[in-house]
Amino acid sequence: MGAISPLGADRRQSFAAALAGRCAIGRAAPDIAQWLPQVLTAPAAAEPSSLLDPRCAGLDRATQFALVAANEALCDAGIAAHPDDARRIGVYVGIGFGGAQTVDALYARLQQTLRDNGNPAVMHPLSVPRMMANAAAAAVSMQYGLHGPSYTYSVACASSAVAIGEAFRAIRDGYLDAAVVIGAEAMLTPGAMLAWNALRVMAKPDADDVSRSCRPFAKGRSGFVLGEGAAAIVLESETRARSRAQAALGEVCGYGCSSDASHLTAPSSEEQVTAMRQALAQAGLEPGDIQYLNAHGTATEAGDVVETASIRAAFGAAAERLAVSSTKSMHGHLIGASGILEFVLSVMAMNAGALPPTATLDEPDPRCDLDFVPRTARHDCEVSAIMSNSFAFGGSNVSLVARRHD
Amino acid sequence: MLEDIVKSYLIDNKGKDPALFDNPDLLVSELKLDSLDMVEMLFEIEDRCGFQLPDPMRYAQMHFSAMLADIEQAIREHNNGELPAFDLQATSH
Repeated sequence: MGAISPLGADRRQSFAAALAGRCAIGRAAPDIAQWLPQVLTAPAAAEPSSLLDPRCAGLDRATQFALVAANEALCDAGIAAHPDDARRIGVYVGIGFGGAQTVDALYARLQQTLRDNGNPAVMHPLSVPRMMANAAAAAVSMQYGLHGPSYTYSVACASSAVAIGEAFRAIRDGYLDAAVVIGAEAMLTPGAMLAWNALRVMAKPDADDVSRSCRPFAKGRSGFVLGEGAAAIVLESETRARSRAQAALGEVCGYGCSSDASHLTAPSSEEQVTAMRQALAQAGLEPGDIQYLNAHGTATEAGDVVETASIRAAFGAAAERLAVSSTKSMHGHLIGASGILEFVLSVMAMNAGALPPTATLDEPDPRCDLDFVPRTARHDCEVSAIMSNSFAFGGSNVSLVARRHD
Repeated sequence: MLEDIVKSYLIDNKGKDPALFDNPDLLVSELKLDSLDMVEMLFEIEDRCGFQLPDPMRYAQMHFSAMLADIEQAIREHNNGELPAFDLQATSH
């Protein structure tokens, strides 16, 4: 597994910061703040280009993030470039707004050129390959010589959760033996932030501590904070992993997905419950078998209340014993990369027996009445299985279940 | 200066051997540039001079020195016969 996130330049740093309850949220950069002085962001902890070969400097920022996370995950899994069974290894990527940085730069350049009475026809010839949604999948498959399918899923906030689920199915059904799954997002740009701001879903700055402005499940929460980065995992069939004596960090065992088919942005409890129940059923687990759930938990007024009700409905009495947290309180909302980053943190929590908190939950909303692991991490927990929820604008709901692989 | 811009780009970004350019009869085809490489290389010039060079693939059949001469002529045609001074550093990518 790998990650480059607002919490750290790799997965271990990210997880350590999450356990420490460190919030990586701050005021936006000047190019955004000049138009949106109140807006907050969660930038990545490291510049991705600094961690890559100089030849990657021209790639879109999201592609750079994807490569950094994939490099760590593949190294972690002991898979080098051009493996013998390259045709049996796929690349599955989730991204919400591919090429956002390239698109923003393109229009900024166009505006400047027109202001200067220049010729707008002069545009970088790689603009299209940089901005295409599958740029990250292409970069990873080319860098590692992986000849299986390279797919890109764009399902807003559920993008990389879908990518995990679909790669899991492809391996389970025998189409592949392994897959590199990546979620990436990089849209902390003026154009993208202006668009998000118009939706009125962004958190307002906390008067006492700006870093604690995203407050999932809390009374007085005001929305989410956009983050950037990527995370990656290598999924592998049990047979392939066993043949090369590779220890597994966990087993993906359940994937549920559904669509609200009702509203662009307002969530539906019924279909969230369906996704969670499907994932549990596929895993062959009962609700009581899950000890930790990483919630979608965006800190929006409607979203957190509906998700709380959905978890109660899906888990029944077991919801009383379930630890739930929203790590978005610390790393912000990475949109297309959120699902996989939160899944990675959840699997690490399972293996460490330590649960990252909802770090900013000082005063819970009475309507959000689960054990949300408020403020500080919980240690010395016995965790045999986890669930991670991702619920997207457009009504796509995804729940993933993983269990220990001993 | 035009030659320096193109050579620097090919050496720094496309990993071409600097010794290649010691050959006065160097062919563009000997640089083994694909069509994407070719338009990327020309963008280094276009970005500085503010117009698109026409029909870039014709350069693949030329000597390197002839390509530079052709580009220089195109720039002069756009600048009343003058060759503006370009920075080695591109303005933006």
